[in-house]
Amino acid sequence: MKLLVCVSKTPDTTTKIKFTSDNSELDTNGVQYIMNPYDEWYALVRALELKEAQGGSVTILNVGPAENDTVIRKGLAIGADEAVRINADPQSSLNVAKQIAEYAKGEGFDIVFFGKETIDYNGSEVSAMVAELLDMPFISYASHMEMDGNNATIKRDIEGGVETLSVDTPFVISAAKGLAEQRIPNMRGIMMAKRKPLKVVPAATFDDPVATVSYELPPEKGQVKLIDPENMDELVRLLHEEAKVI
Amino acid sequence: METYASLRNLKFLLHEVLNFSQLQQYERFADYDDEAADMALDAARQIADTYLYPFYREMDKDKAYYAEGTVHTHPALKEGIKALADGGWIAAIDDYDAGGQQMPATLLHAGLFQFYAANANLAAYAFLTQAAANLIRTFGDEKLHEAFVPDMYSGAWQGTMALTEPQAGSSLSDITTSAELTDEGHYLIRGQKIYISGGDHTAVDNVVHLLLARIKGAPAGTRGISLFVVPKFRLEDGELVDNDVTTAGIFGKMGQKGYVAAHLMLGEQREDCHGYLVGSPHQGLKFMFQMMNEARIGTGLVAAGTASAAYYAALKYAKERPQGRHPSNKDVNQEQVLIIEHADVKRMLLFQKAVVEGSLALLLQCSKLSDIAHVAEGEEKENAHLLLELLTPIAKSYPSEMGTLAVSTGMQCLGGAGYTDDFPLEQYYRDIRVNAIYEGTTGIHGMDLLGRKVTMAKGKAVKLLMQEIQATIEMAAKHSQLADMATQLGQVTRQLHKVTLSLLELASKEKPEVFLADATLYLEYFGTVTIAWQWLKQAAISNAALEKDLSTDEYEFYQGKVFTCRYFFEYELPKTSGLAYRLSSEDRLTLEIEESFIN
Repeated sequence: MKLLVCVSKTPDTTTKIKFTSDNSELDTNGVQYIMNPYDEWYALVRALELKEAQGGSVTILNVGPAENDTVIRKGLAIGADEAVRINADPQSSLNVAKQIAEYAKGEGFDIVFFGKETIDYNGSEVSAMVAELLDMPFISYASHMEMDGNNATIKRDIEGGVETLSVDTPFVISAAKGLAEQRIPNMRGIMMAKRKPLKVVPAATFDDPVATVSYELPPEKGQVKLIDPENMDELVRLLHEEAKVI
Repeated sequence: METYASLRNLKFLLHEVLNFSQLQQYERFADYDDEAADMALDAARQIADTYLYPFYREMDKDKAYYAEGTVHTHPALKEGIKALADGGWIAAIDDYDAGGQQMPATLLHAGLFQFYAANANLAAYAFLTQAAANLIRTFGDEKLHEAFVPDMYSGAWQGTMALTEPQAGSSLSDITTSAELTDEGHYLIRGQKIYISGGDHTAVDNVVHLLLARIKGAPAGTRGISLFVVPKFRLEDGELVDNDVTTAGIFGKMGQKGYVAAHLMLGEQREDCHGYLVGSPHQGLKFMFQMMNEARIGTGLVAAGTASAAYYAALKYAKERPQGRHPSNKDVNQEQVLIIEHADVKRMLLFQKAVVEGSLALLLQCSKLSDIAHVAEGEEKENAHLLLELLTPIAKSYPSEMGTLAVSTGMQCLGGAGYTDDFPLEQYYRDIRVNAIYEGTTGIHGMDLLGRKVTMAKGKAVKLLMQEIQATIEMAAKHSQLADMATQLGQVTRQLHKVTLSLLELASKEKPEVFLADATLYLEYFGTVTIAWQWLKQAAISNAALEKDLSTDEYEFYQGKVFTCRYFFEYELPKTSGLAYRLSSEDRLTLEIEESFIN
C-alpha cells in the first residue's frame, strides 16, 4: 500500500501563547514546536502498522518552511520511509489543502492520513478539503480501522455511540484517539532518520482567500478560592453565582 | 514548570556549555549532531514520562518482596525495562554492528539523568544491565558475548555486579567466594554475595551476575581475584536450566524499596553453580575497576536526578502554598503570600538548584571527557583521561552528599507536609541517601582523591584542571557583572592549590594516616571549588545570551542561571575558608583521641 501521512507543526502544549502587537500573528519568539499529536500518535502510527502488516511505503508530507524539518525528521525516526516538504508558508487552510492535493494527485496514494485536527487552530478543515480536491471519500474522526484487501472498515465515535463505515481505497481519513497507540522513536530510528530522503518540493501558486484579522486570548482564570469544608452554602453560592455551573 | 528534570537545562548544558556537536569530529560519533541529540533527549523524556515517573511512588508503596525463593517486583518494572531496551538505551553505547548506536556517553548520561530523575528505582535495573553487558563485551570472548549480551540488551535478562560478601565490603581483597576449574572448561562457584542490586526478580527471564571470585590456589589479596559470568539459569542443549544460584532473601532498605538488594548463595545447594571466566585469571578487580568510573558517574547521576525531582516538587509547592506575610506586613486581614516570596524559602530553593544544576554540569563535563578519552589520540586522550580520573571522585560524591542535603532542604520548604507521605519529599530523602555509600563511600573517594588522584602523573591532572578553571575565569572576567566572581574563584583556587601543596608536603614527612585523616574534608573542599567553576562557566554563557532579544521564558532561564551562580559564590563558596582552616591546621585530634574517649 502506498500511504501518505500529512503532518503539521504546532506549538508545544506547554507554550505560553502570545501574539504580535497588533494581535494578527502568533509571536513565535521562543516557541517550542512539536509534531501535531493527532498526526503523530494516531495517523502516522496507524499508517506504519498497515505497512508493517501488508507491505508498502509510508510518506510523510508537510507544508511549511525549512524550520519544519526537525519535526519532519521525528516522523522519519518513528518509522516513515520518506518525507516531502512543500516549501510554502500558506496563510489559509484552503491554500494548505491545495498544496497537498497538488502534490498528491499524481502519486497514486491508497490512503491519505491526517490527524483529526491540529492542536493550535483546531479547525479540522484541511483533511476534508483535500478529499474534495482529490475527489476521494472522506472519513473523519476515525478511532478504529481494519483493512481487508482494498476495503477498510472504519469506526468513528459519534454522539452517544459508535458508527461503523466501509470504504474502498483510495480515501482520505482523519485520525482520532484510539486509532493507534503512540510510538516513541527509538535510537536506531533516530539515527536512521538522517539517512532517509526528505524531498523539498516548490510550492504551487494559490491565493489565500481568507486572511486573519486578529486573535484574542481567553480571559485569564481567576484566583483559586479556598472554602471551609464545613461551609457548603458558600460553595453552592459560588458555583451558582460566580462559576455559573449550577 | 518541570516535574522532575529540566529538559531546557539539559539542552543548555549539552549545546551551549559543552558544545556537544564538537564530538562529531571523531569518526565514532560523526552522526551525532545537535538535532539527533535533541531528538534522543525528547525520546528519553517520553519514555520517562510514560513508563518511569508514574510508577515512582507506587514502586515504593508496593515494594519488592521475597517469597518462595524468588523476588517479586512491581508489575511496572517489566514494561519499564522493555521500554528502555526497545528505545535502544540499554545497547546505546555499543558499536553499530553489535546492535548499538555508538552513542556518546555525554548524550547517554543526559538521557540517564532524566530516567533517574523520573524513577531511579526502575531505571537502575536497565542501566545495571548495560554496565554488566559492557564488562562482557569489553573483556569477555566472542562466545560469552554471543551467549549473554543480546538477551541483556533486549531487556529479557538482568545484569548485576556481584562483589560484596558478608566479610568483604569496601575491602575486596578479603573476598572468599571460590572458583574451581572443571574438565569441561567452566568453573564451579561456591560462596555468598550480599547487597546485590537487581540480584533476583520476576520481571526478567534470567539474571546474569558479573561476579568476583578467587580461583583455588590463586594468590591472596586483590591480585588473586578473577571475574566470572554466573547466570541464574545456564544454557544447556538450548534450554535454560537451574544454575544453583539461590536467593536467600532481600535486604530491608531505608529507601529504594523497589530496587532489590539480594543475598545470593552460589553452589550451596548442589555444588553445581557454573561460572565462566571473563578474560584472563586474576584480572577481575582490574577489569571491574576499569568500569568503575562509569559506575561512579552513574551514581552521581542517580543522586543528581533524585535531588532534581525533589527540587521541582519543592518548587511547585512553594509556588502554590500561601503562608504568612512579609515581615514588614503585620496586617492579618491581608491575604497570605506564597511561600516562595519569603527570602528564606528562596534561599532554600536556590541551594537546591545550585546543587542539582551544578552537579549535572560537572557530571556531563566528565561524560564528555570520557568520550574524548575513548576516541581521541595522543596527548588529547591522555589529558582527558587524567582530568576524568581527577574529577570522578567529586562527580560521584558531591551530588551524593550535597544532594542529600538538597533533598532535606526541599522537605523543609514543605514544612510538616514534607515529612508526610502525602508528598514525595520523604521518599526522595530516603532514596537519595544510599548514593554516598554505593560504589565507594565518600571516605573512600576522599582518600582516592587526595592519596592518589592529585599526585598521579606528577600532579599533571591538577595542573590541567587549574588551566580549565583559569580559562573560565578569563571568560567570566569579560562580563562586568561577573568580574568579582571571577576574581573570587581565582583566589579560592589559589588557596586550594596552597592547601594541596601543604598536604602533599605533610605526606612526605608523616605516615599516611596523618596526611589522609581529613581526606573527606579535602574532597568537600575540592568539590565546592569545582562546582563553583561549573557555575561560573554557566553564568558567563548565560550572561552573553542575555544580551540578545529573548522570549520571556528564555530571559527567565538565563537570569535564573546568573542568580544561582551568585547564590553559590555568596553562600556556598565562602564555606571553603573553614575547610581550608581545618586542612591547614596542625591539630591531629582524630589521630590523638583514644577510641575509648569516644563514648
